[in-house]
Amino acid sequence: MPTSVDPKRLLASLYHDNHAWLRGWLSRQVRCPQDAADLTQDTFLRAYDAQQLERIQEPRAYLSTVARRLLCSLWRRRKLEQSYLEQLADLPQAYAPSAEDIALVREAIEAIDRVLEGLPSRVKRAFLLNRLEGMPQQAIAEQLGVSLATVERDLRRAFVHCLSQAGQPL
Amino acid sequence: MSTAKVDPITRAAIDWMLRLESGQACPSERQVFKAWLAEKPEHMAAWQRVAGVLKAPVAELQSVERRSPGQLQAARRALLAGTSPAGKKALQGGLLVLLLGLGAAGLVDRVTPLSGLMADQHTATGERKTIELADGSLLTLNARSAVDIEFTDGQRRVHLREGELQVDVAGDAKRPFVVTTAQGQVRALGTRFMVRQGSDESLASVQQHSVQLDTLGGQQRRIETGQAVSFTANQIDPQTPTSRSQTDWLQGRVELHDESLAALVEALRPYQTGMLRISPEAARVRVFGVFPLDNTAQTLSALTQTLPIKVTRYGPWLTLIDVADKKQTNAN
Repeated sequence: MPTSVDPKRLLASLYHDNHAWLRGWLSRQVRCPQDAADLTQDTFLRAYDAQQLERIQEPRAYLSTVARRLLCSLWRRRKLEQSYLEQLADLPQAYAPSAEDIALVREAIEAIDRVLEGLPSRVKRAFLLNRLEGMPQQAIAEQLGVSLATVERDLRRAFVHCLSQAGQPL
Repeated sequence: MSTAKVDPITRAAIDWMLRLESGQACPSERQVFKAWLAEKPEHMAAWQRVAGVLKAPVAELQSVERRSPGQLQAARRALLAGTSPAGKKALQGGLLVLLLGLGAAGLVDRVTPLSGLMADQHTATGERKTIELADGSLLTLNARSAVDIEFTDGQRRVHLREGELQVDVAGDAKRPFVVTTAQGQVRALGTRFMVRQGSDESLASVQQHSVQLDTLGGQQRRIETGQAVSFTANQIDPQTPTSRSQTDWLQGRVELHDESLAALVEALRPYQTGMLRISPEAARVRVFGVFPLDNTAQTLSALTQTLPIKVTRYGPWLTLIDVADKKQTNAN
């Protein structure tokens, strides 16, 4: 778009005007200076990627909305990671995964969690039993104590959920 | 309630996925499905999108599960831990559900959903099936096997997608009977023979008369009664007869004469719903005897009476086989 203002310059001025403020705001939320610094950078990157810098009317409201979303996602990841590490502690010692494998599992869990986010827990559980474990619909119905029709509806809803958000950020 | 919408073709593909996975779909429905897939490129594209949901992370989890059993379960629990405000309580109910899961066996199929779902005939874990084909030939599938059957005026063709089959061929001089695998084809010369599709090679053994083997790479060989070969696209290797080339599975058993425990575990795998993992030390233990396939739990626990091994179960999803006294063999 030759007529629009150079987005890099817009980003530079957005950064200059709001960087310290955003970092201060985030520091109060996370208490860890490193996390606050990372989230600040991510917020600006996200704003830049959105490629709508020239349309931002209220920069601070916009930035804090983006930052809040990133913050939620960070907390979510931490919580997932925590739950996963708790599960690891219960496994027999001899089968402890390597550091690389732990990293792979964490990534896979995050990816799955991101895709399923927003689904009710029963739908999520049915879908995980089905996709992760290959459990047939009838068996899921028995396990969850619901009707076969409910399981089918839940699975259909989960598929629609996953497919309708494919390719979207966050 | 999610108001997320997808287009009607994607919706149809989701309906097919649910229908085909329900276990209720009959062969004629599969034919309708195949026709639907072939009807428009958009149909195939939508089907692949649906089959691709969660495919990459699930494949990742599966590969880690192979190296370190239990990771899949840990991942699942972690994913469900934060789902509801009443998380802890729900989790405890959920744990039982998760422990009762089918584990990695179902997962292996899940990674290539097209294979089993679209096949004309397939068997589930622990299932064997004999089918009388249109020409009177008898086709028997071992557990976790899938075939496509294609009879024309000029040829009788069975494509083995995965697993193992034996066929007792009815005579028909005008129409050769051929079994194809990913590596080549085996043509009957008036015969009873077995073919197995492995992960990257095939195996053929002949119980009666002979067959003609043609690999994709153009290698040829005639195989006679009692002989067995394994083959890739470019190579044919004669095998000494072992439990792998025998057809005892037709009677629901496997017979080993001085073979490794690993060979027995391989034969049991299609019959075990959860994951079966064997340590390298235990894999080397030598085994003699005849073992039933249909009750893997019983077979394994009987083995602990006669062999220096121990079998540990972590619910139905994971069974570990190790040597009984680790110190003796782990001298290093």
